[in-house]
Parts: sequence; structure tokens; C-alpha cells
Amino acid sequence: MRAREPDETGYVNRDGVPIYWERFGDGSPTVLFMPTWSIVHSRCWKAQVPYFARHYRVVVFDPRGNGHSGRPAEPDAYAETEFAADAVAVMDATDTEQAVVVSWSKGAQRSLLLAAEHPERIPGAVFICPAVPLAGVSPERARYMGRFTERLETTAGWAKWNMHYWEHGYRDFVEFFMGKIFTERHSTKQIEDAVGWGLETDPSTLGATVLGPYIETREDVLDLCEQMSCPVLVVHGEEDAVRPVEIGRELAEVTGGEFVGLPGVGHAPHLRKPVLFNTLLKGFVEREARAPPVAAAPTGSKEGDSQ
Amino acid sequence: MSSPRRVLYMSSPIGLGHARRDVAIARELRALVPGVEIDWLAQHPVTRVLEAEGERVHPASRHLANESSHIESESAEHDLHCFQAWRRMDEILVANYMVFHDLVRQERYDLWIGDEAWEIDYYLHEHPTEKRAHYAWLTDFVGWLPMDDGGAHEAHLTADYNGEMVGHIAAHPDVRDCALFVGNPEDIVPDALGPDLPLIRDWTERNFDFAGYVTGFDAERFADRERLRAELGYRPDERVCIVTVGGSGVGEHLLRKVMAAFGEAKQRVPDLRMIVVAGPRIDPATLPQADGLQICLYVHDLYLHLAACDLAVVQGGLTTAMELTAAGRPFIYFPLAHHFEQNFHVHHRLERYGAGRRLDFETSEPEDIAAAIEEEIGREVSYRPVERDGARRAAERLAEVLA
Repeated sequence: MRAREPDETGYVNRDGVPIYWERFGDGSPTVLFMPTWSIVHSRCWKAQVPYFARHYRVVVFDPRGNGHSGRPAEPDAYAETEFAADAVAVMDATDTEQAVVVSWSKGAQRSLLLAAEHPERIPGAVFICPAVPLAGVSPERARYMGRFTERLETTAGWAKWNMHYWEHGYRDFVEFFMGKIFTERHSTKQIEDAVGWGLETDPSTLGATVLGPYIETREDVLDLCEQMSCPVLVVHGEEDAVRPVEIGRELAEVTGGEFVGLPGVGHAPHLRKPVLFNTLLKGFVEREARAPPVAAAPTGSKEGDSQ
Repeated sequence: MSSPRRVLYMSSPIGLGHARRDVAIARELRALVPGVEIDWLAQHPVTRVLEAEGERVHPASRHLANESSHIESESAEHDLHCFQAWRRMDEILVANYMVFHDLVRQERYDLWIGDEAWEIDYYLHEHPTEKRAHYAWLTDFVGWLPMDDGGAHEAHLTADYNGEMVGHIAAHPDVRDCALFVGNPEDIVPDALGPDLPLIRDWTERNFDFAGYVTGFDAERFADRERLRAELGYRPDERVCIVTVGGSGVGEHLLRKVMAAFGEAKQRVPDLRMIVVAGPRIDPATLPQADGLQICLYVHDLYLHLAACDLAVVQGGLTTAMELTAAGRPFIYFPLAHHFEQNFHVHHRLERYGAGRRLDFETSEPEDIAAAIEEEIGREVSYRPVERDGARRAAERLAEVLA
């Protein structure tokens, strides 16, 4: 059972692709938990939603390609700009004028686009283990990057990141990948959840998401950071085996944001160390994005009011 | 003048047993620490017991996500894979920990007590800097155990969780100021926590104090059983069989099966009076009716009725079975399928006390149950005695921590 059911759900339709969203609570400000890569969906925020819905207002949505959202076939439908536009559409549909945006891994790319293009709507941005082209990847992984469509001799390790392998070894890939996300001991439940989400989509859809246009260069990232004006918090596991911690540290530097490195933690601190992450996020929202308290209404009645 | 000592008490809502024993411990703690103020962070059905006892349920309790509903949603017929159900409760546990996290930042307490409050114990060990008061942990079992049909995978999972617990305690021995086992060392199963992990009993003896069993009631109340029967309205010329499934909604199928045995049981035992207690989470109106069969909603002092009855038919939960053991009454129990605690831990303890007759829900037909009722009802029993000072002993240990 979910710890908290949504107060409102709906779809926005963009170019024939239905995007499913949920809204929880009605406090202030709104926290928008962005979708990450479509190998998982909005349930990846399950350890955050009940807590932040109790304090603020929470909006989540499923990425195109997984969950209740549509699964277009063409890679172009999975451009980062499309995800950013989905976020704007969901904000509009939920009457969310402004939202603190929280992203995980690849969700960083669409969050950067959103915050750069709509600075007036994003009073704060939080990045968890961001996957952006800064600071590089591990040599083990780098060896197979850019070879997604190539037929490889091996299916060992990161060579599983390959569309041909996915045709028959998709589950094995998903299990491998989730094992890399949760490198901490005693993560059986988190891995089980994430594998389940990964199996809710299919290799052909997920392949299209990999081939969609994304932010490819360091210069593009720096340009977007330049355009951003909001406060930033970057939280990164120091043992992240998917995107090295140096990426998060550099993103914090170039955005002028705060960086928190978590020793002994992998690629999903919000799921594996939720109490710690929730505390960090709460602190950030309270410091940076909490709306100033509304001035108390004057007390005492004017003469004649009672007549 | 010093300010009163303040205690925040968290009592697991899975089963009503914790609530009753925790109220008894709280009562003893008040006697030992005059002026102590106790708030409860608790949810239904525990709150039902607390409210009936006049205890103060903290308003933040309304924010807790309901664990009983989750457990009910995980059950099927007389079957509850409680280890997996508990694992799948992870997001509820995080949500409820955060309620606690907020509360203890707003209010000062000197002692937190968690009776199988899993989320509190887990996250305090994950993040020891969260600790800002003395902390006491209570449980009546130690160690997740795999069911046979779960195979190697389930054995791997239970060992992994046990290993995490062992690692937590070893790495952060100062988080628990006191760990109390509700029972005695002999109550502990002979199993290991997993491959390459210690025996459960050895590890528990090293890391816990033993309070003895906490019945949660004053046994003097039913010393004169004839008088008690009269007080409760049971006639000398009838034999009373109480059928009860505890506090969650999981036991409805057992109720129905035993009710189906009523006709034949009544033929075999003509003076039989069967009373079915639906509990706070089963609607009695949904149960079949039959002449001579009495259906009640929740019974607050159920333990008195159990002490007065001639036979009880129950699930395999620890509290009710031990109440019957302490009262020396014959009983038949049906452990929930795939419920490792009922099938292993509770069963082991009842064997030690020589108490209860175990039947299997799946293979027992109504006529088997009727025959067992005839054989067991009114039988003289000779159980190992249950200590009466468990609540006091637990409270003494808590008072030391609070001092």
C-alpha cells in the first residue's frame, strides 16, 4: 500500500502523448519532483512524497516512456526539451505558478532547461546525483558510452548498455543497472522496487529514450547554468557508481550552489538514505524557497464595522 | 523545581498485543517515576486501547500512515507473508519515521520507547545523529526467518535483514540505551540469524535484557474463575468457547471456518456457547449468523473473557496465546500461513510452555475443528507458569534509563 494517496491526478496531453501527474497536499511552496530517465517512474519519489506533502504541496509526473504516461516510439519524442515542456504543461495543469524543482540523475538535464528557460517559475533547484556532461564518467563505463547501437562482442558489465542486448537480455540489463545504482549493502528492497519499475516499460521504448536528443556538451551545461538564477543544492553519493561524485561537485560550483557529498552512499540517496535526504531537502526549502509569512491581518475593528 | 520527566511511547499497531503490554509497562513506570508524563505516538487499533485506558495520544499521531491497513491489504485468506508484507511497508515506515522526526524536534522528551517500532529503531541506527533522547527498544522476537517454500532467495533476504541489524547494533551500540526482550532466553528459537551470523539466542542474550513475559493484566483478577464467570454472565451449565483473531482484519477467514464448525460442535457438545469476537477491524454484520452463535464487535477486557472461558480458538499471535497460557485455559491455534513469527517464534514459545493445540487452517475441515473443540473444551491443563512481574521488571529497567 502507498503511504499516501494523491489528492488529485490527471493527464496533460502534448502532441498526442499523455503525461500522467499526481498532486499531494496544498501547502506552500510547491515541490515538483521531476522524472528521471524513463527506466523508472514517479514512484521513485515514494520516500519523499508523504513527508513533503505534509509540509508543502507536491507534484510528480510519470516520464513519457514509463508509468501511466504515453510511450511514443520515436527518439525525438524523448528529447530533453520535451521533458522540460512536459514539466511546464504539468505545472500549468496543476495551477502551479512556481515550484522548487527536485531532480535525480538524468532528470538534471530537463531541470536545467526548465530553470534556465523559466527562471521566474523556479525559486530553487535540487539535483541528486546529476547526470550531466561535466567531470566525466568512470573508465569502465566510458568504454561503452556512445556504442549503444553497435553490436558488441561482450555482454559483460556496462556492455549491457546496448540496444541489441536489450532485445533478449533486457531484464538482465535492468538488474545490472539497478545493482549499480544501489551499491550500498542491504539494498535488496530498493533494487527490487527499481527493477519492477524498469520492467514496466520495454526495451524498444527505453531504447528510444536513449537515442533522443539530450544535452551533450559541457558548454551547453555551462550556458544553461549561466541562465539560471535560483538557489541550488546538489546532493551526491560519494560512492556513486553510475555518475561520479565529481559531476555533482562541479555542477554546484558552476551554479554557485551548495554541495553535499554523502560518504558511503551510491546513486540514489533519496531512496537508500531517505531520512538524511529529506532532512537536507527540507532545510533547503525552508532556507531558500519558503514564501515569506503573510503579514498578520490587523486586529481590532474599525468604527462602524459592527453596524 | 525540576521539570517532569517526559516519555514518548511508540507501540506497534500490528496486533493489539503490544498496546496492552505497553499500557501495563507505562502504569508501572508511573509508579516508579512519580510525575512522569507519557505521550503516545500511535495509530489505530492501538489508539483504541489507549483511549479506553485514558492515555494521552499525541495529536501528531494523526499524521501516521496506517500499518494495519497495509498488512490487511497484503493478506489472503488465512495467509500473511509477514516478512514480505513488512518489507513492502518500507514507504509507510519512512513516512512514519518522518512524523517522529518532526515531533521530537518540536517537543523535548527524556526517553523514547519503541515497542517493535521498526522505523524508529532502523533509522536511528542508520543515522545515529538523529538521537536526541534516551532510547529503549522492546520486542518479543528477534530474527526474520524464511518460510520453507521461500527457497534460497527468501533465506538470503532474511539473512540480509538480520545481518543489517547485527551490523547496526555493532556499529552503534550507544543508540539503544536499553533493549528489552519480552520473554526469557528459553523462549528463543534455536535457529541462527543466517549463514555466518550468530545463533539468535546467543546474540539476543548478549544484546538484550530479559523482562520475562508481560501479560499486561493483573492475574489476581481471575484467581476466582467461578466468580469471574458469573461476573461476565457465563452460566455454570454452559461451556463457553471464544473465537477471536486479534486486532487486525486478517482473521476473517478463520472466523468463518470456525463458525462453519459450530453446528457439528454443538451436536458434540450440547452445552456449547460459542462467542465470536470480530475485533475492531472486521464488521460483524458481514459475518454469517446462526442460532446459538453470538457475534461481538471489539471486547475491551477480552483477556478476562479468555480467562473465564472453557476453550478458545485463536490465530497464532503471541499475545492472545500467552494470555490463555497465563490463565491456564485450553486453546486451539491456527498460525497464519507464511507468517514466520506465528509459525516459528510463537510456536516455539508455546511448546516450551506446553500450551495450546496447533491446527493447520488449510487442511482442517469444519468437522475436524468440531472434533478438536469437543476434545479440548474444559480440559484440565498443566502449563509452565507465566511470570506476573514482567511489566514491573520492564518498567524498572526503563526507570533506570530515565534516572
